[in-house]
Amino acid sequence: MSEKTVTALGILQKQINQPLVAALEVCARCGICTEACHYYQAEPIDAHMPSMRAEELRKVYRSEYDWLSKIFPAWTRSEALSDEKLAALAEMAFTKCTLCSRCTINCPMGVDTPLLMTSIRAMATATGNAPEILEMLADAAIEKGRDPGSYLGFFLDSIKDMETELQELTGNPQAHIPVQKKGARALYVALAGAHTILPAAAIFDAVGEDWTLSIYEAANYGVFLGDASRAKAIARRIVDEARDLGVKEIIISECGHAYHAMRWTAPNWFGEEFTFRVRSIVEVIADYIRHDRLKLDPTANPEPITYHDSCNLGRKGGVLEEPRLILKAVTTNFRELTPNREEAYCCGGGAGLVANPDVIDLRMLAGKPKVEQVRRSGASVVVAACENCRLQLGDISSHYGAGFGVTAIADLVVKAMRLPGAAKTIESSMTSVTSETEPARK
Amino acid sequence: MSFLLLTQFTAAAAAIFCITAFALRLRTFTRLTLPGDRSTPKGDPAKGVAYALTLGMMPWAKESTRRHALAYLRGVGFHLAAFISLGVLLLSPWLGQVPGPVRTGLAILTGSGALLAFLGFLSRFAEKSLKALSTPDDYFAVLLVSMFLAAATLAVENLSLLPLFYMTSALVFVYMPLGKIRHCIYFAFSRMFFGKFFGRRGVFPHSQQKGTA
Repeated sequence: MSEKTVTALGILQKQINQPLVAALEVCARCGICTEACHYYQAEPIDAHMPSMRAEELRKVYRSEYDWLSKIFPAWTRSEALSDEKLAALAEMAFTKCTLCSRCTINCPMGVDTPLLMTSIRAMATATGNAPEILEMLADAAIEKGRDPGSYLGFFLDSIKDMETELQELTGNPQAHIPVQKKGARALYVALAGAHTILPAAAIFDAVGEDWTLSIYEAANYGVFLGDASRAKAIARRIVDEARDLGVKEIIISECGHAYHAMRWTAPNWFGEEFTFRVRSIVEVIADYIRHDRLKLDPTANPEPITYHDSCNLGRKGGVLEEPRLILKAVTTNFRELTPNREEAYCCGGGAGLVANPDVIDLRMLAGKPKVEQVRRSGASVVVAACENCRLQLGDISSHYGAGFGVTAIADLVVKAMRLPGAAKTIESSMTSVTSETEPARK
Repeated sequence: MSFLLLTQFTAAAAAIFCITAFALRLRTFTRLTLPGDRSTPKGDPAKGVAYALTLGMMPWAKESTRRHALAYLRGVGFHLAAFISLGVLLLSPWLGQVPGPVRTGLAILTGSGALLAFLGFLSRFAEKSLKALSTPDDYFAVLLVSMFLAAATLAVENLSLLPLFYMTSALVFVYMPLGKIRHCIYFAFSRMFFGKFFGRRGVFPHSQQKGTA
């Protein structure tokens, strides 16, 4: 047995806990989950069955932990881990599963297949089998946290420029983007680029929110690697910033995995309940609307518009109704995709696939069911509250010639606010975005 | 010792083996870490668990079971019949005293279960994707349970066939903790973890009507 396989098996052993063992043991191989997977919907082959994918790890598990399988491996089709098997497992877990959990909610047993795929990702990461790009992005984020001074000057300069744009957009010469403001009520954590800062800043300005902008980005590539220590290190930058500033709330921009990581997983990495609340900006805007704090004109968005539920935000995050409340307030022609909410199809770009240029073909394939859903809805604009989803939706719209535009919720809200500079600043972002045309957004 | 008594003892010994093996397995399982969740709940994990173990199991609760309603109901029927057959086994020493119509009713239930189980066995051969997924363990397990249900049916109808039922039961009990059938002890845990996860997030039970295009 090679050093790599020993390490990988050690990582598997470390991860063994009740939920993982239940997921490994309970599958009856009934195949009822099969069509739940968007990969299988796009290409109905055995390798795309969620149970078949999970079975690949179960074979290794049985060969290590089940004595009947050790004696008669052919009886249970168990398979000892080898370097080749490990590479194949890694390739499968990083490219043929977006961890969307649609198979889980469709399984009569509730098998947590994404948990199994994440375990494989952890084994692969520990043995150098993870996609290099994901490791680079995660490490770059950690490095930024170690030495924020190295880029802070540049960051503050770019925020100053953005502030001028904000003043044009809102028509308010006093509008500004606070950074490192001690005692602010909320810390807003955006993504790279102005597109997740400006609309949020305009909304905060309109309601008089007491906020400050994080000097870090919300994205957390450690999550995609299945590497809890890297994920925690990335989250720690923001948690420490929130504590230093004494904020009451962290608001995550429209990014599915970043929201899920900070809202649902980070407290477990840190082993504590946070003293501040964590919400998505979608939940915050919905609250502003509920409390009548925003003046909105839905006729500003008359096109047929639909909403794509990000898996991390919706099915796995519970933010299902808030986007709908907002969209009903800011549009006049909203229609649902079918299925939607917790039953929604993944767009095919999740779990780090959008960041990996080597899997573009698979990604386009996995996005096919989503394109068909959008076509059936008759919508010309798809709204998504997740950056990776938006990039994937833009790509599949171009790839399949579907012609729908893609936008964020905050962009539509700003349009509906009828701000004096909206036409210039925001409407340009209503055109389809793609991962190729918008590298800065990644 | 009569042949009937011998087979009864064999079944009892196998049952003790099965219960002991499951108890050990459960002890090992429950000693594993159960990760806590420090995130602030949006929904109620307890309600999620209750949903996962009740309404969430209904054929209409999931797209997959709506799509494969017959296969799902076949599975449910076969598992229910397995539990009824275990009841028949416990009742077997007094089966002669059970009124005829009740015995006929039991035979219909276990017999239907046997048929459903055998159909499940055949479908593993017939359906391409299921065949690809199945291991010899799967075929053997479902065939064994089909035989167990069939033997229960025959014994209920004809008491002279009780030794056959006992021997089949013994085989099932010995194999249960070793092969695929052991998934039964993880079922409740898996559904509970599912319910806790989605209940905490307020995804299940559903609070809103679904809109459609």
